[in-house]
This record gives sequence, C-alpha cells and structure tokens, in this order.
Amino acid sequence: MFTLIKLIQSLFGALHSEGTPGQLAAGIVLGSFLGLTPLMNLHNAGIFAALVLLNVSFAGGMLGWALFVPIGFMLDPLFDWIGHTLLLDVSFLRPLWTSLYNMPVVPLTNFNNTVVLGSLVFALVFALPLFFVTRWGVARYRVTIGERVRQSKWYRTLMASKAYNVYKLFKP
Amino acid sequence: MSERIKIFRWRAVGPLLVLFVIGCVLWWLFADTIARHESQKVGTSLLGAKVEIQYLHLDLAHGDVTIKGLTIASPHEAFKNLLQADELVADLDMLPLTEKKLVIDRIVANGLRFGTPRETDGRVPAESGQGIAGTVLAETREWASRFQVPVLQLATGKISVDSLDPRRLSTIPAADALSARADSSRRAWQTGFDTLRLGPTLDSAGATLEQLRNARATDLATINTARQAIDRLKRARDRVTTLERNVKTGVAQLQAGLAGLDSARQRDYAFARGLLKLPSLDAPDIGAAVFGPGAIKPFEQALYYAQLARRYMPPGLLPRATTGPSRVRRAGETVRFPKERALPAFLLRSAELSFLGYAGRLTGLTSDPALYGRPTVFAASGPQLAAGAMLNHTRGVPLDTAGATVGGVQFPAFDVPGVPLRLDPGAATTQLGFSLNGDTIHARFAIRSSNVRWTRDSGFANSAIGNLVWRAVSGISNLDVETRLSGALEHPALAVRSNLDQAIASRLRAELGTQVDAAEKQMRARVDALVNAKVGPVRARVTEVQTQAQTQVAQQRARIDELQKNLEQRLRQLMGGVRLP
Repeated sequence: MFTLIKLIQSLFGALHSEGTPGQLAAGIVLGSFLGLTPLMNLHNAGIFAALVLLNVSFAGGMLGWALFVPIGFMLDPLFDWIGHTLLLDVSFLRPLWTSLYNMPVVPLTNFNNTVVLGSLVFALVFALPLFFVTRWGVARYRVTIGERVRQSKWYRTLMASKAYNVYKLFKP
Repeated sequence: MSERIKIFRWRAVGPLLVLFVIGCVLWWLFADTIARHESQKVGTSLLGAKVEIQYLHLDLAHGDVTIKGLTIASPHEAFKNLLQADELVADLDMLPLTEKKLVIDRIVANGLRFGTPRETDGRVPAESGQGIAGTVLAETREWASRFQVPVLQLATGKISVDSLDPRRLSTIPAADALSARADSSRRAWQTGFDTLRLGPTLDSAGATLEQLRNARATDLATINTARQAIDRLKRARDRVTTLERNVKTGVAQLQAGLAGLDSARQRDYAFARGLLKLPSLDAPDIGAAVFGPGAIKPFEQALYYAQLARRYMPPGLLPRATTGPSRVRRAGETVRFPKERALPAFLLRSAELSFLGYAGRLTGLTSDPALYGRPTVFAASGPQLAAGAMLNHTRGVPLDTAGATVGGVQFPAFDVPGVPLRLDPGAATTQLGFSLNGDTIHARFAIRSSNVRWTRDSGFANSAIGNLVWRAVSGISNLDVETRLSGALEHPALAVRSNLDQAIASRLRAELGTQVDAAEKQMRARVDALVNAKVGPVRARVTEVQTQAQTQVAQQRARIDELQKNLEQRLRQLMGGVRLP
C-alpha cells in the first residue's frame, strides 16, 4: 500500500513539478531503462548517474522505473528472443560482438546475455516514442486538468505526507 | 528572451560522489563475503555438488585470493566429499579481470583430502536435468543404466517354471506371416502364368506343324507360317524364362522365411530359458553378475567428469551459449565469443597440489582450449599412487584420457548379488584406464587384493546353492577382477572377468548341470509342442506352393521346346538342308 501511495505521490509530484514536460519525459525514459533491463548491470550505473547528474526529472525517473519494472518482467521472454536473435542468429553482427566481448570493461555490462541485450535494445528503440508521447501527455495534462487537480483537497492531502518531502529534495 | 535550460545538475555531483564512496566502503567491507558466496554458488552450479568455503580473502592489490576450508561434495555419493582442501592460494592476473576474464597464473593447494565423509547430502541436482551439471549427471546415469547385467538367481536353489504364453513366442507370428506370403506368392505366380497366354501360341504352333507335315518344299506360304510360329514360340519361351526367374526369387525368399522360422525358434528357446530362471553356468556371465553393477560405477563417474569437461571446455571458436546468471528476472543465455589470439574466459595456468605426502600438478585448465592451444594435463604421484589425465580439446575431435593406479584402497564390503554371501575385498590395488576419443570409449577398471574375506548370510544357511557357492569361494583369498568397456559410447561392450568366475561356474556346472539340462530339455519340448503345430503346416504349404510353381513352369517350357524342335526339324527336311532367307 505504501508503495502504491508513493507511486501516486511520485506521479502527481512529477506532473506538478516545476520541470518542463521535456524534463519529465526524459526522466521517465531514463527510468524506463532501469525498469526494463535487469537492474544489477553496469549500464544501469551509468543510467542512474545520468538521472542524477542531468537536469531531468528525478521523480520522473523513479516513476519510470516503478512503472516499467513489471513491464520488464512481463516482456522478458521477448527480450530473451531479441537478444538470442541478435547474439546468435544475425551473422553479420558476430564480429561486433566478438570485438566487444574481448574489449576491456564492455563485457562487465553483460551485453552478451540475451535478456540484458534484448531489453537494452528494446529500451533504446522504445526511448524516443516514449519521450515524445510522455512530453505531449504531460503538456496536455497541465493545460487541461492540471490546475484543477492541484487545487483539489485530496491532492493537498496526498502531497502533505512525509514521503513527498523526501521527493522534494530531488525535484528539478 | 527565455532563460537557457541547464543540462547538468552540478549540485548532484556531491551526493553522487557520496554514494560512490559508500559503495566503495561497502565493497571493502563485504567483498570477501560476496566473493565467497559467489564462488560457492558458481562452483556448486558448475560441479553439480555443494561447494563450501569457510574463508575467502581477496587481495586485489597483490592479485591474491586465499581460500581456506574448501569442501566439494561428491555429485555421485550422498554423504561423501569429492575433496577437501585446507588452503588454496591463487595468484590472479589482474588485467584480464577488466575483460571479465579470470586468468590464474598459479594455485598452491595444501592439505587436500579425497573421499572424506560428510554429514549432509551434498548432491545438488538430486532431481537431475538442471543446468549443465544436472544434465550431464542425468545423461551418464541413463548411460550406465543401459548395461544389461545378468542376474544370478541362486538364492533358493529352486528352478521355477513360469507359464509359457504362446502369444509371446516369436515363431508363431513368423509362421503366420510366412504362410500368408506363400499364398500371396502362389497367387502372383498363377496370375503371371495366366498372363503368358501360352495356350493359343501352342495350339497355333501345333496346327502349323500338322500343315507342315503335308506340305511340299514349294509351299512357301506354309513354310513362312511355320517360321512365324517358331518366332512366337521363342518369344513365349522368353516370357516363361522371366516368370521362371520370378519364381526362383520367390522360392528363395520362402526358403529364407523357413530359415527365419528356425532362428525364431532359437529365440523362443532363449526366451523360455529366461522364464525358467535358470542360473547361468557360463563364467563370463557369473563375473558380470557378481561384479558388473559395482564395476560400472567408476566408468560412470569418469564419463561424468569427461563429459562435464567437454561441455565447459568445448573445442573450436564458435560462440557458446550457456544459461545466464540466476536472478529474479529471467536468466536468459550468456554467450561467449572467443577470439583468436585473445585470452580465454577462464584459464588456470598451473596448480600445485599437495596432500598427505603426495604431490600433484595441473596445467592448462581453460574454458577455451583452442585459444590456449595446449591440452589440460594432470599428474600426481606418491607412495602407492600414480595418476595422470589429459584433456585434449584443442582439435575438432576431443580426446580425454585418464589413468590411475592406487594401492592400499580399503573397499567397503558388499553383498554378492544373487547369492547369500558378503565379500570384503580388504586393502586392494585398483587401476583405472579411461579413454574417450570423440565418441569411442575404451576403459578398464581392475581390482586386485590378496586378503579378501567372505562371510555368509545366516538367513540362507540351508540354501543348497548358497552352500555350493560358499564351498566354491570360501577358500579363495585372492581377488582379481577386471572390467573392460569398449566401443561406441552409445553402445559399448562390457566384459567382466574375475578369478572367481571359473571357480563358481565349474562348481555350479558340476552340481546343477544335470538339473539345468533336464529343465532346458523340458522347456524346449514345450516350445516345440506349441510351435510345431503351426510351423509344420506352413512348411508343407511353402513346399507345395514352390513345387507347384516350378512344375508348372517346367512343363510349359518342355512343351514349347518340343514344338519348336519339331517345327525346325520338319522345316529342315522340306528345305533339304537349304537355308532360305
């Protein structure tokens, strides 16, 4: 329940933050990488660093992460298939994988795992559509029902909780 | 003018650095524990048996890893360890770690012990078939179970005769099939004979012969008709020859069918003999029955490690997919891409092993033998021990060989299968030779002991056969068993020989030979009674069909020949020896 409340808080916190729709969308896209790909991999350290260092919505990142974790689990068979196809069935990519595999640092990313590669490729392909759709959606929300939601009683109650204060530390 | 959006959030650098420092501190605090847990997990998964480490210390600054209290359970025996080591010190090559490759220059292992007992079951893939180790274990178990070891059934000394079910005899369906084939052949030959249409040809030739007898030399039309009749007779004879050839082939097949009935009868005798549960009196069978079950185990274990090595150390440089790391998300497959002149994913250049006054050395253990270019070699020696192994996977066809001679091995006493005796081999010398070249296996396992002890099972004190075997073997204090395995890995031939075979076999033959012969004779008579009722008529039918067909063909051929001969003779008389065109 607490997780759900936090998720809703994150969602509305992000939607009503001072960040632009683009910042929020970029945060969600970076968060989707964390959610779609297996977490304990080197590339996710880079994604997390980018989420912290780049001027994107951190809350959006956390929201994207939370939203895309279950989707990642659901799509694992698809990721496995994509990764398997790219690593083993596409012969012209084999020299590339061989070079990467025998390079310093790159193998530490586990790119040669079918699920990791498949999910990463999926997340990359999915990133641009997700960015534009999210940016458009946030902008539409803010100009239509955003202000009414902000003035509502339940929104003020939701945002008054302690969890929101934690979120505010990282607001853009 | 709108305010320019900043790309970087510089104030977050501080918290990120703090996070990084926390990560480093946690690593410093828990690296050893994490490495220990991971090593245990990976080792367990690789070997299919529990790997336990009491203490592990990483000294990355010097590239050293120290392991203390290593225990590796046996994948084959529940409460036994494969080995234990007091201490292992590994000297790592640090640079390849950046490529996620583990290259160990040298390992020094002290205080190794083999086959020590353990309190818990250390086998992991008890259900088998999980992971590479589980799959290989299941495969080798299935392989070992394929050997049909004869069973000695001497415990009661009685010859039991089970009911002989005629439906389980192979001669009867074979006879039915042959009978049907004979009928089918007869019909086919009759049809062939009918389609020859010899009647009109022979009648026409007969009429022409009559005309020719009254004709003169100037009667050219009649002479011409006679010559045409001769041509027709020749063609008819060709057709008869073709039919005759078919009949001959068919007759040969029917004869083969009759011979097949004899073979089927022999199989039925063997089947009936099996129902009798007669004790085998052949020495090799006795050797296989007594020592076969135990002797297959060393081969099964050697094959398990050889096959495991082949899976983890495959020849060639093709990409290799293995199950990915276990995690909450799907494991997927992790694919390795070996590259020429690059380092293998795993390489142990050299290991020096010392245990109880023995010394061993292992070199070139690698995941990519084609990259390393040399075989993995192991050698160990010491008092009463000489062992060596070579895994050569550097070429397309892998070759795995191993040999060991160990003296003073205390084998546990075991019940001799099928007889009320227990054999304690005492301290024995064992030899194992194993060679797996591609898919061809040659292996030998021998046990020699000069201090065997026999004990009787008191429950069988009154068993006549038990007494018999006891008298045969109780005075024998030497044991010399040799088991050999050779041939294609899928179906190798197993041969077991021991000095006890002949002793037991000759004693049994002397005592039981008459009974066994009588029982066999009785069972043969029962088989014959069931089979002859069916086979006799079939044999007669086959003979009748082939005789009928051959006679028919021979008669027609004779008629054709006679008519042709008469026509040609009359023509010659008319022409007075002059040949007309």
